Amino acid sequence: MINVEPAAPLQEDRIPGHIPMSVVLATGIFGGFFSGLLGIGGGTAMVPMLVFLGGLTQRDAHATSLAAMILIATAAVVVYGDAGKINLIAAGALLVGSLAGARIGADLLSKASEGKLKAAFGTFLLVAAVLMVVNP
Amino acid sequence: MDPALVIFLALFGGLTGMLSALLGVGGGIFMVPALALIAGFDQQEAQATSLLVIVPTAAVATWTLRANAIGDIRLGSRLGLLGILGAVAGAAAALALSGELLRYAFALLLVVVGVRLLIDSRSSTARLQTPEAGHPYPE
Repeated sequence: MINVEPAAPLQEDRIPGHIPMSVVLATGIFGGFFSGLLGIGGGTAMVPMLVFLGGLTQRDAHATSLAAMILIATAAVVVYGDAGKINLIAAGALLVGSLAGARIGADLLSKASEGKLKAAFGTFLLVAAVLMVVNP
Repeated sequence: MDPALVIFLALFGGLTGMLSALLGVGGGIFMVPALALIAGFDQQEAQATSLLVIVPTAAVATWTLRANAIGDIRLGSRLGLLGILGAVAGAAAALALSGELLRYAFALLLVVVGVRLLIDSRSSTARLQTPEAGHPYPE
């Protein structure tokens, strides 16, 4: 009578570590809001939420956040693009470097240990906090 | 635009692109202050330009990581679709108000989470050194 629920393995192949829907909702919306508000990718908010609330490894959280960011930043660009605020020359110059850098960074993420990734991301958050307050 | 500035931005982009893919963030936290302080952009122009750079950078990183079977693209897409709702609200809010207080509140949150992660990183390094099954107390 009580054991009506299907066994866990049925859910497991959908989302690794089957993250509760409430966490998915909160992470997506919160990450998106800060992305649009601050003009950042939103990973700063999403990665800690995926690790601490969703139980993902640091490595998977970083990679999943990048995938989410493609859609989130596109939406934010459309809003800012309407406002005619994009400088295409600066964007092109930055992209020349960042597309090459992204491949190197992705390979580093694939190889780094969990402890090192946590240390790197923790340090990044402290730097980010300073930049956020200093930034005029 | 000054050619020296264009070259600087390309080199700076290389650094932020690498950090972006390694850390799973967009890199806007580095690009926005650089564009505002060094290139002299106003805040909204800096943010809009930075967001445009983030899209292809994150796409290349995701593509590379997928080849290495890291991350969950389906979960990422779900987060992204939900995030669009949040991003439109956040971007509209940024265009309408200064968002000063929210920035300070978010900075404080980052310090708390950053310290927590640094503490966790030490314990997860320790765990790697002594596999959790054995605990072969040397004494």
